[in-house]
Amino acid sequence: MTAITAHEGKAMAGAPARLRRQGVDISARGEPFLWGLGGALAFGVVMILGFLFIVFWNGATTFWPGPIDLVTLTAGERIAGEPTRSEDYRPTTSQLAELDDATRARIAARDGFATRTLYRVGNFDIYGEDFRWVSDFQVSRREQPADLALVERLEWGVFIGQIKAVTVDDKAVETATFATAHKVARQRWLRIADIERDEIGAVNHRMEQGRLEVRRAELDHGKSSPAYARIAAEVAKREQSLGIDYAKLSAEAQRLRAEAARTRLTLAEIGGKEKTIPLSAVVRLYPANALGPMDKLGVYLSRWWEFLSDEPREANTEGGVWPAIFGTFAMTLLMVIVVAPFGVITALYLREYARQGRLVTIVRISVNNLAGVPSIVYGAFGLGFFAYILGGSIDQFFYPERLPSPTFGTGGLLWSSLTLALLTVPVVIVATEEALAAVPRSMREGSLACGASKWQTILNIVLPRAMPGIMTGLILAMARGAGEVAPLMLVGVVKLAPELPIDGIFPYVHLERSFMHLGFHIYDVGFQSRNSEAGKPMVFVTTMLLIALIATMNASAIVIRNRLKRKFVGSQF
Amino acid sequence: MSTTEASSSIAARRRDKRTPRRVLIADRAADLIIRVGGILVILAVFAIMAFLAQVVVPLFTGGRVVAEASFILPDKAKRFLHQTLDETHTVAVAVAEDGTVTAYHIATGARIDAPAFDFAGKRITAFAAAPVGSDIVFGFEDGTIRQGSLKFATAIVPGDQAPADAKALATGGKASADRTDGKAIFAPAPVGQIRRIAVEGALGRPQQVSPSAITAIDTRSGGTVERPTLAVVSVDREGQIRLSRVESRMNLLTRRMRTEVTSATLPVLPPGTPVVSVLMTSAADQIYVGARDGRVFRYDSRNPDRAELAEIAQPLPAGVELTVLSFLIGEQSLVVGGNNGAVDIFLRLQRAGARTTDGYALVRAHALEPHRSAVAAFGASQRGKMLITADVTGEIWLRHATSEQVVLRLPAPRGGQPYESVALAPRDDGVLAMAPGGAGRFWTVDAPHPETTWKSIFGKIWYEGFDSPSYTWQSSSGTDSFEPKLSLVPLIFGTIKATIYSLLFAVPIALLGAIYTSEFLHRRVRNTVKPVMEMMASLPSVVLGFIAALILAPVVEAWIAAVMIAFFAIPGALAAAAFLWQAIPPHAARRLEGVPKFLLFFVVLVLTVLAVIWWTPALERMFFAGDLRAWADGTAGSGVPFLIILLTPLALVAVSLVAGRTIGERVNVALRALPPFAAAGVDLARALAQFLLAVLLAYALARTFAAFGGDVRGGLVDTYVQRNTLVVGFVMGFAVIPIIYTIAEDALNSVPEHLRAASLACGATPWQTAISVILPTAMSGVFAGVMIGMGRAVGETMIVVMAAGNTPILDWNLFNGLRALSANIAVELPEAVKDGTLYRMLFLAALALFVMTFVLNTFAEIVRLRFRKRAAQL
Repeated sequence: MTAITAHEGKAMAGAPARLRRQGVDISARGEPFLWGLGGALAFGVVMILGFLFIVFWNGATTFWPGPIDLVTLTAGERIAGEPTRSEDYRPTTSQLAELDDATRARIAARDGFATRTLYRVGNFDIYGEDFRWVSDFQVSRREQPADLALVERLEWGVFIGQIKAVTVDDKAVETATFATAHKVARQRWLRIADIERDEIGAVNHRMEQGRLEVRRAELDHGKSSPAYARIAAEVAKREQSLGIDYAKLSAEAQRLRAEAARTRLTLAEIGGKEKTIPLSAVVRLYPANALGPMDKLGVYLSRWWEFLSDEPREANTEGGVWPAIFGTFAMTLLMVIVVAPFGVITALYLREYARQGRLVTIVRISVNNLAGVPSIVYGAFGLGFFAYILGGSIDQFFYPERLPSPTFGTGGLLWSSLTLALLTVPVVIVATEEALAAVPRSMREGSLACGASKWQTILNIVLPRAMPGIMTGLILAMARGAGEVAPLMLVGVVKLAPELPIDGIFPYVHLERSFMHLGFHIYDVGFQSRNSEAGKPMVFVTTMLLIALIATMNASAIVIRNRLKRKFVGSQF
Repeated sequence: MSTTEASSSIAARRRDKRTPRRVLIADRAADLIIRVGGILVILAVFAIMAFLAQVVVPLFTGGRVVAEASFILPDKAKRFLHQTLDETHTVAVAVAEDGTVTAYHIATGARIDAPAFDFAGKRITAFAAAPVGSDIVFGFEDGTIRQGSLKFATAIVPGDQAPADAKALATGGKASADRTDGKAIFAPAPVGQIRRIAVEGALGRPQQVSPSAITAIDTRSGGTVERPTLAVVSVDREGQIRLSRVESRMNLLTRRMRTEVTSATLPVLPPGTPVVSVLMTSAADQIYVGARDGRVFRYDSRNPDRAELAEIAQPLPAGVELTVLSFLIGEQSLVVGGNNGAVDIFLRLQRAGARTTDGYALVRAHALEPHRSAVAAFGASQRGKMLITADVTGEIWLRHATSEQVVLRLPAPRGGQPYESVALAPRDDGVLAMAPGGAGRFWTVDAPHPETTWKSIFGKIWYEGFDSPSYTWQSSSGTDSFEPKLSLVPLIFGTIKATIYSLLFAVPIALLGAIYTSEFLHRRVRNTVKPVMEMMASLPSVVLGFIAALILAPVVEAWIAAVMIAFFAIPGALAAAAFLWQAIPPHAARRLEGVPKFLLFFVVLVLTVLAVIWWTPALERMFFAGDLRAWADGTAGSGVPFLIILLTPLALVAVSLVAGRTIGERVNVALRALPPFAAAGVDLARALAQFLLAVLLAYALARTFAAFGGDVRGGLVDTYVQRNTLVVGFVMGFAVIPIIYTIAEDALNSVPEHLRAASLACGATPWQTAISVILPTAMSGVFAGVMIGMGRAVGETMIVVMAAGNTPILDWNLFNGLRALSANIAVELPEAVKDGTLYRMLFLAALALFVMTFVLNTFAEIVRLRFRKRAAQL
């Protein structure tokens, strides 16, 4: 590093007296400052790594089935629950007053701190709470009996306790046959869900369609016109046959429900209170303390599968996030479809067509800056312009029969995508421009000299070279778009969308529908649910999923960028 | 590739050199599409700002007259006591001084049936109508009162149920869509229906309350349907004020109403007081009597049997006559009008040193723009703080009390007599004025945002129920008489607070980290460290907000003392480690330079954090009286120890500057002569000495500061709230650090290599090179990075929504939350009614954010461009 050290300087000091001392000034090395700089960098790295560790550790371990502790308190009470985390805390003076002297002394020796563990006790329908703090000094015994089971239910969250009995078709059977009985019950439940949601939903949709047709005819021809009468009669006839379908389907659902009610599971919580639930309402049941590693892995993977493929339950705190994944994906895709042509065209205009001058510089700076305009501003614009003004006009012209309930005149998939497209178009423009600028001038000139037209040059020479850069820009835009939540809160994201934006009912893609989004899911479950503690594991997994999604996109952008650089370093003219 | 055909056959024909049409067409089309598309996208992007501005503009435009109509009522030469109109301003009712009620169609003046009241020949001397509801009360010359009601009976009926004999109404050749059968008006309603509006009235029996003529009266209704009660306050000719309670009971067997009157007398007014009007509140706990000579007598009647004269206020200058005394909705604001044209709003507020019996006093909260002549008539809004006043020349001003603005000025009648009675339509969208003799005029007005002015948005405004003018944001509440308080100042303050605290944390880390990465880190390490830091930028802010609010906030709350101390301990520990490092023999140090040293930073960090956690109880006792939260409240300990920590870094800078100027050079020269280990020791001793000196200095400063009553508590730190700025600032770091870091690092890196080489060749150490050559050259680029980072912090939404608590307050407390502009938009816009005042205010907030970030970024971009140009020239 430094040229001469103090040692050498001293050695030279013995030489002619007038020679300048060549020692090194220790303060010139600025060591304390260097450590300050390096410490800041290290702090930054620790911040990001710590953050990712927290998210990924919590996210990855959430679905791993933990043991269930049976805790006997000194007061005699017994608690069964999954330990979730423990921490040090300061008992309040009133708490301390109730303790005996030895415990108090122990706490005092720890500067007034005691340790407590948060148990997930479940059984919300019986206890009225999901979680319970247990301080170490309250505990007299901890054990893990093998007969305790964890039951995930459709309603009321998990149940922790023992299995008392299984009843199939009103006959008590061995608990060992549980697995087969459960499979049958679940199949039946899926069938009921299928009938009630999809098939009856389709009938309802067609009925609604008929009602709208009549209303449309009334608006177009007036109530007294023959056209109206004809359509009304036609719809009434159709409605009659739909009514028969409806009755048939609901009878079928009724029958299945009655059947399902005859297959039950009786559970007992640790205090002895029994609870009987239909077997079909059991999502998963496992004896937490009797699982081998492979069984645990099985439960872990099946929970992951449920998370990725199922619909949310219990105010989004349980079940899966499939609609949110789908919504995020559909919205991002639609955004890219919009943003790609417009971004590229604008960049082409700015770089290849517009005369380079002060004006274009100003435009370029402004476009660059728009990337820094807060996303919430775009959200406000999207709501005010797209949803209210554009959507309102579309409703007036194309869907007058549905008014006053809005079709496009409120937030929806289309408006969200357009808002995010506006938000990300500067990213694409900047990236594309850079990519276009990186194409050597000589290649353009060569192409033109060979007689190609300007457009032919752009299409065949410039764009292919710039394509990796454009792709990088698009992927970065997608990553930004997929992670944005604030504007979506204004233009179409909902906590629970009953229908996916793409389904089997004509016209298959429903751009006006509101949708679910992974980012909003995090906000909603973390902040709007009845019990944020119960939702926390879910939020961690969703967070992990979202970060993984975005990190993958960003990483691929970086890979493409690097490949692009290599390509051009190699093929420089 | 323009010509392809015929090239295979050998020169038989001449090659066709024309460009094929399709190539030309494609070229033209592409040209057109790209030009038009490009310009359109650019315009669209700029249209955002235009759109936001267009939504905001109506906030600042006043009202306008949409339509007007005039009519003449047949009752000539009568004066009118009262008038009112229905919600759709189709029908109006006027009560004349002799008690006759006239109902008429406003657009045409056509009369319809109205209730006829029979007063048995007695002369009416006073009249009042309750501001809400349909109750009216008459006072007579014989000291009796009669209560009654007057209301619009509105019904929506199917379009084909209007009577066939109803005839169309028309005036001056203009046909109206409304029809009448003489009893009611049939007006078209949405979706082909008809609205039938008629006027209904009832009059109770006379009740004797006073032996002499009633001169002023007011009434409020209450009770239930089965047991309606009516409170009436009356002033008689002797100046005797009576508070009467008229209670009607329905006999459940006979279903007949029985009415009872109980009266209480209030202290008598001074003899000869010329009473203009008397007012009472709905709870009948305050009674105001306005006298023509300008005095307002306020009675405290919380206990009606022992009511007392609480205050005699003089709201108008001496010699000015009082002409109007009335409430606005909510009965907290008292409107006082004088014959000098003044229109002032008074509030009854608790005032220390008030010379009143109940400790309250009438305080002038708003002095509205005065009329040029005496105020003659007044009308209050039924839904907000709007009011109309007419002066004696007949000019009518539509005003808003809180914003103090005149929304609309309606001209005086050309010729004819000035208006003597005015009324504001129930939806504040019409003004009805009547001149003596029945000449009336009606204006349909549009004043959608009377409550907003530049002053109400950015200035201090005195709201009802507040002790003094304030900056307040409170957009909704449960009660009807609530007035939205829309000052952007607390929100802008919140944004600035979040930005400043987060930059205080993020800028040092990002800049110092960038300098280290660019100048001292090995290239290979840099290639991994930089992407790791940049990865921070890709974390979605909703994730950051979630971690901040649900994970970090509870941890920080539990370990707040440790966190506060760590902020000072970590730099201190790093410096200490550096002095120890200097003591390592140079050859060993050189070998450890690079990755091991970089890893050592992490070790020092981790050890420091562990040490702080270990010693937290002791440190908390030392600096925060054993409990930081109680200390921050100001309930325990003194502020001095923390002040010492806060001042020590500043003192250290001062001490080392002074030392450097005086003996620094000599010590440095002396150090050169010493062997490295000894030099390191002396350097450490010097640093320790400076540190001790700095602590002493800080102690002295803190003591002096405290001696003058200064305390950081109540300012920078105060009561601890879980969702606070400390957490927000820290987590916002994740959003801001990578931006500043990347831009600053790029700027430092793009300083030409020959500058670096030249500096090192001249004998400068890398540290000297970095700080005196590289950093000054790259300064503008670094600065641009900070500006862009600031732009991001200003607009960050989800983190503040989730972690900042969203309370719109104005204080710098690090331990309290804030409500930022962006969070406010996200929280309130989904609920805001389209084109309502709140909706436009939120768009104004969005516009403010847009402009703030746009200006910041443009400035940064220009600075950066300039830097690039200069760096290229070097």
